[in-house]
Amino acid sequence: MRQKYVCASWFALHFLLIFSFSCRETLLLVAQGPTILPASFKSFSKKAETAVSVVLGQHLAASNAIRQTLVTYLHLAGIETGYGYFAPNVPGSYKLVFELRYPDGRVEYELPSVSSPAAGLRLASLLDTIGRTPYDALREHLVKMLALSIRREHPEVKTIRAVFGSIALPSVREFEHGKRASYTFLYAYDFSLQNESPGADDR
Amino acid sequence: MIAKLLRAFREQLFVFLFPAETDNWLTVLRLGLGFQVAFYSLSLRNDWNYLLSGTASGLVTCNLAEALLLVESHFVPRLGWLVDLGPHLGLREEALLSIAWICLLGAACGLLIGLACRLSAILAWFLHLCAAKSGGFLSYGVDNFMTVGLFYLMLSPLPDRCSLDWRLRELSSKNPQLLGFWRRVLQIHLCLIYFFSGFTKCLGSGWWDGSNVWRALVRPPFNMIDPEILVQWKYVFPVAGIFICLLEIGYPVFIWSSKTRKIWLISICAMHVGIGVTMGMYLFALVMIVLNVAAFGPGLSAQRACESASGPRKLSYKSEGWTLPRQ
Repeated sequence: MRQKYVCASWFALHFLLIFSFSCRETLLLVAQGPTILPASFKSFSKKAETAVSVVLGQHLAASNAIRQTLVTYLHLAGIETGYGYFAPNVPGSYKLVFELRYPDGRVEYELPSVSSPAAGLRLASLLDTIGRTPYDALREHLVKMLALSIRREHPEVKTIRAVFGSIALPSVREFEHGKRASYTFLYAYDFSLQNESPGADDR
Repeated sequence: MIAKLLRAFREQLFVFLFPAETDNWLTVLRLGLGFQVAFYSLSLRNDWNYLLSGTASGLVTCNLAEALLLVESHFVPRLGWLVDLGPHLGLREEALLSIAWICLLGAACGLLIGLACRLSAILAWFLHLCAAKSGGFLSYGVDNFMTVGLFYLMLSPLPDRCSLDWRLRELSSKNPQLLGFWRRVLQIHLCLIYFFSGFTKCLGSGWWDGSNVWRALVRPPFNMIDPEILVQWKYVFPVAGIFICLLEIGYPVFIWSSKTRKIWLISICAMHVGIGVTMGMYLFALVMIVLNVAAFGPGLSAQRACESASGPRKLSYKSEGWTLPRQ
């Protein structure tokens, strides 16, 4: 009987966490929109999401023992994220093109690549992270890492320009009228490979 | 009066949480996750070191993902823990990553044949979690569901009767109520997953007019089918979008009823097969099908047979396993 009580207590806590984090993500999706809900829901969702975050200890200091314990458990159980995949709408995707300039004036174009489709899905996930992060420094660092991986394959290259853009997908009707996926410029980074430091960040 | 009500509630809750179950579902989960971990490892065999290296020789160094994880928690497993052992063992990072990959594949084989089930499940969970967390920027939904599945598998009462462990060690039967509890945990978790997935999709206009189905199918890197072919099926997209929303949001209701469970389970598995085939997300499709079939598959036909008979029959617990009593 004692084992049953322990199991039932764990069950309640575990699913309370899953439910709470899923609710929080749903509120965040509504707050960020666009959804079919009226615009007035946005501010409510934002406030509710903040309240849920406070209850879940997400506003405590990162070094706080309660928060650390909670975060550890969430990661161990694989329940640290919600389940709003492709919701409320399917987002666009991103593309990163490297322009390689050689000492002899030659210019080549390269895309980041991996050797299997399974790894390709992971690469797409990385590009999504680069595209969606609000932190410029993180974006720049990740692009730089990818540029360095390209440089290893082309050691004689002099400079690398990384051009990051989003892919705008046509609707069915637009596709029928001849429109195809288009590439919209978002950021460019110049890497001079003598000192490996990124240059101008344009938008 | 209140005490009586509370006692009745507690009894009902325990009946729901601890139903007597056979270990068939656990066999499905062990085998399914064994295949999943094996395919996961094999699909990344050529890119494993490239994706997960912490040095500049990788695609993006794992050090950044691990540093960000460290801010959140010091105790989440990561490959850096293994790599830090390198100098003590006289092994370089590449060698340690390769050993981790071999161990992960070994754990998958252990799960498949049912040898050292618990150890294999813990090892598979730990190594997969290390890879998923160290490659944080490179992980996606499949990693979450693999972690969830392996977490429940390693906590479940292993080994099951179909495992090699069972045959070699001549073990006694596991507590059927504990088996039922862990199956219930998996069932409830799936209900929450589909409910929130369906609910958030319902909030997007694109799922009601079918434009999200089109976008999902033409969005790189999921664009497996030529859009020229897809566009001929444009009238199917709104139906498919609404069908997906209703299927997911209705899952927590219709999966429990014996009348609708079979059709819901088949439909949800068909949806995942569709995702796997049309979007190239084979691993994602497989793990979702495994979790669904393990949670709601075993006992489906037996349940119908029981209900069509004169009355409900209870499982009897014998030393050699579980049987349905003769009528």
